[in-house]
Amino acid sequence: MRGALLIAKKEFLELSKDKKTMFLAFVLPFLLYPAIFGMMAKMGRRDEAQNRNKASRVFVSDPSGVMAGLLASDAKHFDLVQKPEGDLKQAIRDQKLELALDVEPKAAESLQKHETFAVTVTMDESERASEVALKRLKTALATQEKSWVQARLQVLGASAQLAEPLKLTVKNAADVGLEVGKALGRFLPYLLMIMMYTGSMQHGIYATAGEKERHTLLSLMATRLPRNQIILGKLLYIFCMGVIAALLNLLSMGISVAFIGGGTGSSMQALAAIANPMTLGLTFLIMVPLGLFFSNFILLMGIQARNTIEAGSAITPGIFLVVFLGVFAMAPGVDKMAFLSYVPVVNVCLALRKLFSQQFSWIEYLIAFTMTVGLAGLMTLVSTRILNQEKALFKM
Amino acid sequence: MIMLNEVHKSFTVKDRKTRTTKRIDAVRGISLTVKPGEIYGLLGPNGAGKSTTLRMIAGLMDPDAGQIDVCGFDTRKNPESVRGCMGYLSTDMGVYTRFTPRELLRLFGEFQDVDPSTAERRGLHLLDKLQLADFADVKMEGFSSGQKQKVSIARALLHDPKVVIFDEPTTGLDVLTAKTVLDLLRIMREEGRTVIVSTHVMPMVEDICDRVGIIFDGKLHGDAPPRDLLQSRRAKTLDEVFFQLAAESEGGN
Repeated sequence: MRGALLIAKKEFLELSKDKKTMFLAFVLPFLLYPAIFGMMAKMGRRDEAQNRNKASRVFVSDPSGVMAGLLASDAKHFDLVQKPEGDLKQAIRDQKLELALDVEPKAAESLQKHETFAVTVTMDESERASEVALKRLKTALATQEKSWVQARLQVLGASAQLAEPLKLTVKNAADVGLEVGKALGRFLPYLLMIMMYTGSMQHGIYATAGEKERHTLLSLMATRLPRNQIILGKLLYIFCMGVIAALLNLLSMGISVAFIGGGTGSSMQALAAIANPMTLGLTFLIMVPLGLFFSNFILLMGIQARNTIEAGSAITPGIFLVVFLGVFAMAPGVDKMAFLSYVPVVNVCLALRKLFSQQFSWIEYLIAFTMTVGLAGLMTLVSTRILNQEKALFKM
Repeated sequence: MIMLNEVHKSFTVKDRKTRTTKRIDAVRGISLTVKPGEIYGLLGPNGAGKSTTLRMIAGLMDPDAGQIDVCGFDTRKNPESVRGCMGYLSTDMGVYTRFTPRELLRLFGEFQDVDPSTAERRGLHLLDKLQLADFADVKMEGFSSGQKQKVSIARALLHDPKVVIFDEPTTGLDVLTAKTVLDLLRIMREEGRTVIVSTHVMPMVEDICDRVGIIFDGKLHGDAPPRDLLQSRRAKTLDEVFFQLAAESEGGN
């Protein structure tokens, strides 16, 4: 094992000499995510504030004046505008106004006769401001509608409760930790996998096909280090880089979301609820064989390639597979399919999903862990066997 | 000591046009012995089987048939021991350009089981001999091919090997440095090391080699001291011998 550690040391030393790569691998995640999440949060807050403080522009076609009066009385939320020139739908699409209301001409008469009158609303579902305007309209109408119904019931001499047979009260059984955990349980395995794979990919290519391209592999092979130790050393390096990349990216993401994205007491509370030693420990534990599995694949493809382009072409399609499996494991209902506990990689995603959702099952976790360890071991055996062959190492 | 006994090596290559596989016999029954304190010159055109023979001696490739012993170890059974007692240099070898020569030599010292301080001392001594000591702490990214070759030579000799295999050692070197390398080879002979050199530079072979073997089509021809070879072939230079053998080889084919 000494030889493998020496080779891994060489790889890390080589990496440490490349300041640009060091910056991209270790510093950039701590600048990128705070910048992205900070910008997103700022834009979201600005948009929200704009929508909250700005009155929705509404054109009302209401000859009897039933609705126009109602909206005009709420100047904080509604700004009644003149009919725009040209097509009304186009004017809404052009964001000249948010809503257009067409109220039946005999609305006032219908209201007096205790009959129903129709209101047609035109809006742009693709625009957030238009959605907000509709929500405000519905809120305003709901209050007004209730008072109209109560008035009608009063005329009939009936109780006001007639229109309200039940009063619904909703209580949330989940705490903030569970809510965040469930959301995180869906995304985290996907993020872990994609970050581990992409994080180790470039380093793997550099350490394998890159060595062939730079004609340095032969100088390593000419030393007294056994060939399988050279291969294991490279595997160790690729694996470490994958795990480091995943951990750094997630750490930066977590910090960014907690402090910049939300920064509220509840988000900190949620983070504290899921960031307990057992959850983190079990997550890291299962990452080890999964990372080894990915690293072996990268090593196998990389060292058999003649150059870095060939290696890149062989390794890149792996991203699609990782994305597909990650997205599949995120889908609703997938966690209920028992047989998926026996499908490699997917079972790791599901085990983590349940771990974060407070539905953890030791059996499922152990099955996933054992299978992934077995798979990683088998892959290591196969790759050392294949890579020991002259034709793999001397393929130029 | 290097001993090759009836060594064979073949490769299978794919013909992309005809989509068939072809067997190429790179080495066909080569036998030779190189004793300690001897410099053996291996000559031959490109693709004759020189590099394959040297790679097999270095334990980097296994022979299909026959046996190779280096420092008393069978290359197939103890490749690590063979590589431990041998310094191998090839034109195919690059250097890790992100390192300085000092860093590289320290690292390779560890690979060869030499403690870092000894590796550094020996490495600096070799760099000094090769007139590269002033560049010991300069990143190799901007090095010329000759400077890189000098670092490779120092890397190959770092662990004080008993057997030295140099494949085209003077390629890319200026006349003065090439002379330094040849002087280094002579010193190694005096120190009792076993040396095999492969080259295209005939005057160099006549100058420093005790014996010469010429490889054509994977077979060894004329395994003898340069002077004997010239006499037996009635030639004035090794170039002439080379052309004669090439003509015979083509005639034979």
